[in-house]
Amino acid sequence: MDKNNIFYDPSLKRRHLKSKLFKYFTLFSLVVSLVFLAIFLLDMVLKGSSAVQQTYIQVEVSYNQESIDSYRDAVAKKYLNLLSRAALREIPNQIQKNPSLMGTKQVLWMLADDQVDMYMKEYYYKIDEKDMKTLEELVKNGMVDKKFNTIFFTHGDSKSPEYSGILSAFIGTILTLAVTMLVAFPIGVATAVYLEEFSKQNWWSEFLEININNLAAIPSILFGLLGLAIYINVLGLPRSSALVGGLTLALMTLPIIVVSSRAALRSVPASIRQAGYALGLTKVQVVKDHVIPLAFPGIMTGNIIGLAHAMGETAPLIIVGMIAFIPDSPTSVMEAATVMPAQLFTWAGMPERAYIERTAAGILVLLSLLISLNSLAVYLRKKFEVKW
Amino acid sequence: MAKNKVKIAVKDLNLWYGDKHALHGLNIELYKNKITALIGPSGCGKSTFLRCLNRMNDLITSVRVEGEVVIDGKNIYDKDVDEVSVRKRIGMVFQQPNPFPKSIYENVAYAPLKHGIVKKGSGCDELVEQSLRSAGIWNEVKDILKEPGTGLSGGQQQRLCIARTIAVKPDVILMDEPTSALDPISTEKIEALMLELKKEYTIITVTHNMQQAARIADMTAFFHLGDLIEYDETEKIFINPTQKKTEDYITGRFG
Ligand SMILES: Nc1ncnc2c1ncn2[C@@H]1O[C@H](COP(=O)(O)OP(=O)(O)O)[C@@H](O)[C@H]1O
Ligand SMILES: [Mg+2]
Repeated sequence: MDKNNIFYDPSLKRRHLKSKLFKYFTLFSLVVSLVFLAIFLLDMVLKGSSAVQQTYIQVEVSYNQESIDSYRDAVAKKYLNLLSRAALREIPNQIQKNPSLMGTKQVLWMLADDQVDMYMKEYYYKIDEKDMKTLEELVKNGMVDKKFNTIFFTHGDSKSPEYSGILSAFIGTILTLAVTMLVAFPIGVATAVYLEEFSKQNWWSEFLEININNLAAIPSILFGLLGLAIYINVLGLPRSSALVGGLTLALMTLPIIVVSSRAALRSVPASIRQAGYALGLTKVQVVKDHVIPLAFPGIMTGNIIGLAHAMGETAPLIIVGMIAFIPDSPTSVMEAATVMPAQLFTWAGMPERAYIERTAAGILVLLSLLISLNSLAVYLRKKFEVKW
Repeated sequence: MAKNKVKIAVKDLNLWYGDKHALHGLNIELYKNKITALIGPSGCGKSTFLRCLNRMNDLITSVRVEGEVVIDGKNIYDKDVDEVSVRKRIGMVFQQPNPFPKSIYENVAYAPLKHGIVKKGSGCDELVEQSLRSAGIWNEVKDILKEPGTGLSGGQQQRLCIARTIAVKPDVILMDEPTSALDPISTEKIEALMLELKKEYTIITVTHNMQQAARIADMTAFFHLGDLIEYDETEKIFINPTQKKTEDYITGRFG
């Protein structure tokens, strides 16, 4: 550094050092959060990946009157403990659905018991000596194999972990969120339009504004209590149903939608409104044809983010009973249902290892849905963004 | 001035923004098929006055207006007058060109379609062409009518806004510093256009540019702190003003 340089600054070195330190500090924070995220994802993928496959055993199944009377007679007694109870219980149903099976014997790949699955996946297992011998024999003969776990995606919850899947919770989530959106979207957007375009600026509108912002920050479990009190106790709507869950989540998402829609409406430049009014357009025409279309991408983004928020919500739904054991997918919003995070919550509390891997797999499914929703929000915003 | 026909007669017009008295008892007669320029230092109430003429001030909640603005014999502040229908007849062009972020065609066609002046497929294309021609921009945009109006240059956008205003078939066009955001060449085009348009319309324009007022305005009104100081033929105002304040302003001693 030349001291004759007229721009010479004696504090330069220290300044550079400071700004470098600051830069590295912020970078370090970023790295820490990324590492945590990576560890979480890796852990879930490692735990969940084994749920992609499920063990099956090739056995002879006899379809006859005895099997109908008791599924225990459908296969040789020595295999009974190695096979999935829930799958065996389906045998009489299969005959009922397909009477031509009656009186036949078929060699089939039957779903194995979860302990057998654990053994095949080299986790901790509990199988007694006699069954172990039979199993080792079967393995040696190539009668035991791991196949893609379709059951996880095509079945609901079950008391047999190997027979349980995410489907009923997934359907429950869809139904619940459909109710949420059908209620929260129109009410939230209309409220925002009223507050932004029609209400006069006075103490009342300020009071409303403060309270809506406060509502957005209320712990979600309180909305569950409110839902329980209003929808179930006062209105008498069916407990555990997607209807009640959806309405409860609607209460929770409404303030988010109102706040984000207002921000979107406010970001439409005043000059557009003036242009409209100066042409002799009515307020309805200006708002409907010029302001709302311009605010729409922002409104959609807010709604989708509210939806994603609602999708991950568990606590208020547990309060309104959506944590029930739901083996069959609900077919209407009035039926008892559960949602994906509540299902994960239930599984996570189960002692069986097989439920743990399902929890992880379920988290991955939920995360991919959330990521898709958020990408959709980004896509919509980009697509409909108005270039000025 | 006997041959001038009065289009707008303003009588004792007072305006308040809340407690702030912004226009002090204005009396002025604005003439048909003339360009009237409103000049004066910033904040003297030119825009406020202009917005009184098409009741755009109604959109500002704190505004209170007293007095009369009589257009073609009817006071537009009468109880039986709807401000929306006033604006159909008194168009307005703003300082910043503000086309809708829609196609050039839709920019012009939207309001006439809503007002039922034309219908889709019957007269609409013609009206769009005619309005764009009148605004002197037809040749530049006739091949890109489907493209967004916001993609045009500033000067073109302003002429598009003028086309959009004439499409509604007003009698009066109010312009609030229509060229102050534009380059000199675009400004020249707009000025030429205004001279053309005054044959059919009455034009009231706010301008910060003294030469512009001198170039295009028939009449000039000088405002100061909410008062109308002097109003006369442009030549008179610029060459031989009666008020000291007008002279000071025009010679650049303040403003
Ligand atoms: N929306 C408004 N609310 C309150 N005061 C305003 C508003 N618009 C203008 N004013 C005030 O009214 C006066 C005149 O403003 P304006 O008409 O915009 O002046 P000009 O156009 O001559 O520069 C100014 O003092 C300005 O501060
Ligand atoms: Mg102004």
